Amino acid sequence: MNNTLLIISREYLTRVKKKSFIILTLVVPILFAALMVVPVLLATKGREHVNVMVVDDNDIYINNFTDDAKTSFSYRSGDIEQIKKEALAGDYDVVLYFPRSSQKVNANLYYTEEPSMYLRSELESQINSLFFDYVLQDSFNIDLDKYNTIKDLSRSQITMIQIDENGVEKESMAELNKTIGMICGFVIYFFIFLFAGQVLRGVLEEKNNRIVEVLISSVKPIELLLGKIVGIALVGLTQFLIWIVFTLVILTAVQFAMPDKFMEMSGVDTEQIMESVKDSQLIETVNTSKMAAGDTFDTGNIFAEISSYFPISFTEMILCFLFYFLTGYLVYSALFAAVGSAADNETDSNQLTMPITMPLLLTIVMVMPIADNPNGQLAFWLSIIPLTSPVAMLTRLPSGVPLWELLLSMVLMLLFFVFVVWFAAKIYRTGILMYGKKVSWKEIWKWVRYQ
Amino acid sequence: MNIIEVQNVTKKYSNHLALDNISLAIRKGIVYGLLGPNGAGKTTLIRILNQITAPDSGMVFFNGNPLSRKDIEKIGYLPEERGLYKKMKVGEEAMYLARLKGLSKNEALERLKYWFIKFEIQNWWNKKVEELSKGMQQKLQFITTVVHRPDFLILDEPFSGLDPINTNLIRQELLELKRQGTTIIISTHNMASVEEICDEICLINKAHKILEGNLVEIKQQFKENIYSLTLDSEREIPMLSEIYNVMETSSSENRRHYVVKVLEGGSANQLLQHVMNYGNILSFNEILPSMNDIFIQQVEKYNSELKMDNKSR
Repeated sequence: MNNTLLIISREYLTRVKKKSFIILTLVVPILFAALMVVPVLLATKGREHVNVMVVDDNDIYINNFTDDAKTSFSYRSGDIEQIKKEALAGDYDVVLYFPRSSQKVNANLYYTEEPSMYLRSELESQINSLFFDYVLQDSFNIDLDKYNTIKDLSRSQITMIQIDENGVEKESMAELNKTIGMICGFVIYFFIFLFAGQVLRGVLEEKNNRIVEVLISSVKPIELLLGKIVGIALVGLTQFLIWIVFTLVILTAVQFAMPDKFMEMSGVDTEQIMESVKDSQLIETVNTSKMAAGDTFDTGNIFAEISSYFPISFTEMILCFLFYFLTGYLVYSALFAAVGSAADNETDSNQLTMPITMPLLLTIVMVMPIADNPNGQLAFWLSIIPLTSPVAMLTRLPSGVPLWELLLSMVLMLLFFVFVVWFAAKIYRTGILMYGKKVSWKEIWKWVRYQ
Repeated sequence: MNIIEVQNVTKKYSNHLALDNISLAIRKGIVYGLLGPNGAGKTTLIRILNQITAPDSGMVFFNGNPLSRKDIEKIGYLPEERGLYKKMKVGEEAMYLARLKGLSKNEALERLKYWFIKFEIQNWWNKKVEELSKGMQQKLQFITTVVHRPDFLILDEPFSGLDPINTNLIRQELLELKRQGTTIIISTHNMASVEEICDEICLINKAHKILEGNLVEIKQQFKENIYSLTLDSEREIPMLSEIYNVMETSSSENRRHYVVKVLEGGSANQLLQHVMNYGNILSFNEILPSMNDIFIQQVEKYNSELKMDNKSR
């Protein structure tokens, strides 16, 4: 045991002290934070006040555009060439011109400095709705007020309500669940490979520089194997922890530095939620939470709010992520170690790892279908089979998984892990002493059956 | 008292027999040479002694008790294929390997200090292993092999890749360890080093032990009554080649040198009496076979017997 601890600490310390580890650990949170902050900054940057000069040769839109806080409209008629010159030289940022044409919705937008993307979509949506009203009146003689009344009356809303096994009803956000599920699936896939790959390289390194013979004259091969696997798992957990803490620290710091911008971001988020939920009650709760958040933006409240719409809590999600990351990593790293011990170099090992990585690759290809139908046959079986369950189960989890399925999957994973370590240890102790021989799967099978 | 006793050990790999019913005993405090051609089974035997692999049948005793995991701390092993973590610092790596052999942190540090000072390599402590030359790495590897003061040292080709100065250094250290009571087993193809430091040897060929015993006694056993003698005259000695087998003659500056084999029934004294009539004897020596000769002769003999055996079957 003492030896295993020594091995764990060496595996851990040599990796944690590496420059590449330190750099990666520091850079990723900055990237994470940048990923969250930069789009907000970019989105807010272009939203300055815009003066629009509208010229309409068809006389449909004159005086009909609606001003808002960021855009105001003025109207002129006459020679477009002259108006264009004067307006852009004067107080106007853009000139919106509808040439005389049968396609009365088409327009040109003239500018000297490129306007934001928002302006264009804003203009397009206003034009569309104005044109729609115009056609109703002009071509079909329909009274606008009557039409709007009818339209308001006939607005269907479907609220998604999931009933769990205890009969408790919960409104769900299927789209968001799907996205989060897919992200979780990809993330766990990436990390399992990242760290299991380190085990593979570690085994190959020891075998290639021949230190393994010195080591196993001091410790049992199984101690060496477990020490390496556990040591690298700790490296992974350390990295997660630092990433999470650092990302939060950076985000908090940025929020303090620029509180205004983030008020806007929280506003945008809430609007999106309101839109996707389309439920008056929900909008109310979100609105109250927005008010409760008050002047200073509070991430925690928003998170709590969002998480209340999941069939599974954030804590459960994180615990499940850790469970499947650890067991998935343990299973794959043990298999990778076995393969690494049998190979002489990385090229050989790639050939041998193919059959092992296939199930995981297959699940990654299946992530979309699983997320689309999280309770279908495919999703069910892939999340039960140990080699594919880490990715498949994580993809399903946000949409809610019956407890018995989750427990079955976890128990199978643990049993499979015990089996894999036993199996891998048998290959490993023979493989590490084999040199200069290209090993086939048949040969490896023979090692398993050795006493 | 034997530190190691190997009894009827057999080890089979999937397609060949590595050791066939081998038995041998190693007395405490000697240097024991394990000899044999490539593929004879030496590495397998060494791995069994290190408990890296287990024999299919047979027993190994260490200090009279069956070999067990707790004996690992009393054994030091220098494998033929040297290996260290290249990216680690010299000091850290030495500490790690020493502690894996059961030394506490303080013990390990203290003993490593002793060896680093002894080999005058204190300033390597914070260098990376990959920065060291091959010879330097060998020194480091030797230190990590002996740092836990093993009772029993297993060295596979300890002198390969060393320059003459380092070879001599390691040899001196081995003799010093032997003086302190360490038993050393050396597996090597370097017959000159066997003759220099081994007390007893064992020759393995094709999974079988074909020769074992005290080095001097083995040489005596295989001596062929060959003598070299030098006379102060260049005169022909009559009848010499009729009675004896003269293997070599040469002459220079009024001297004549002979290598003579005394045939069955003859003796060295008879030879001396015969030649002393023809000049003054300047030197007279018995030529014992070298380990190299014995090795080649015995292995070839065994192989040809094996062939005959197979044919007659």
